[in-house]
Amino acid sequence: MAIKNLDTLGLKCPQPILKVAILVPQMNPGDILEVLADCESFPKDIKAWAEKTGKTLLFCNTDETGKHTAQIQF
Amino acid sequence: MSKVAITVNGSAPTNVFPPFILGSSAIASGDEVIIFFCPGGAPAMVKGEIEKMDVKGLPNLLELYEGVRNLGGKIYVCELALDAKDLKKEEFREGVEIIGATTFINEIKDATITFSF
Repeated sequence: MAIKNLDTLGLKCPQPILKVAILVPQMNPGDILEVLADCESFPKDIKAWAEKTGKTLLFCNTDETGKHTAQIQF
Repeated sequence: MSKVAITVNGSAPTNVFPPFILGSSAIASGDEVIIFFCPGGAPAMVKGEIEKMDVKGLPNLLELYEGVRNLGGKIYVCELALDAKDLKKEEFREGVEIIGATTFINEIKDATITFSF
C-alpha cells in the first residue's frame, strides 16, 4: 500500500478532480492519494467523485486559510 | 455511468469553455464524453486557438482539453466545417476527428446527458 501526494493548489474547478482522475491508472487497490486543493468547490466535488467512482474518501479537512486536504483510498 | 454528448456552435470562449469544463468533469468521474463541433464552433479546434483563450478566473483550457483526450473523450468536428469555414483537415488539432452528422447521431443514440453551447 502506497501513499501518493497531489498538489493542486491554485488550480480551479474541475482541474483538481481531473488531475485525480488522470492518476487513477497509477493507483493500486488499497493505495491512498492525498490531495491538496484551494478550489472553493473541492470538498463537495471530491465527495461526489468518490461516490460516483466507488472510491473511499477517508477525509477532507479545510484549514483556516481555506486550504483543503483530502485522502482517498483506492 | 452515463454517456454525455455536447454540441458546440460558436468559437468564442463563452462557447468553448463550458464543453471542456463539463466534459472534463464528466469524464473524470467515469462518464463517456463526446464533444461535437458544428461549423460555427469548428474554428476553435484549429491548431493554436485553444492556447489563445485565457479568461480571468477560469481554468486552463488546454489542460482541460488534454484531460478530456487523455481519459478517452472523443472530440469531433463536423465535416461541413471544411467548406463552410475554408478549413483543411490538417489545420485541426491532433486528436480531433472529422465526422459527419449521421455518424455523430448514431454514436450518441444512447446518450442520457446532452448540452449545447
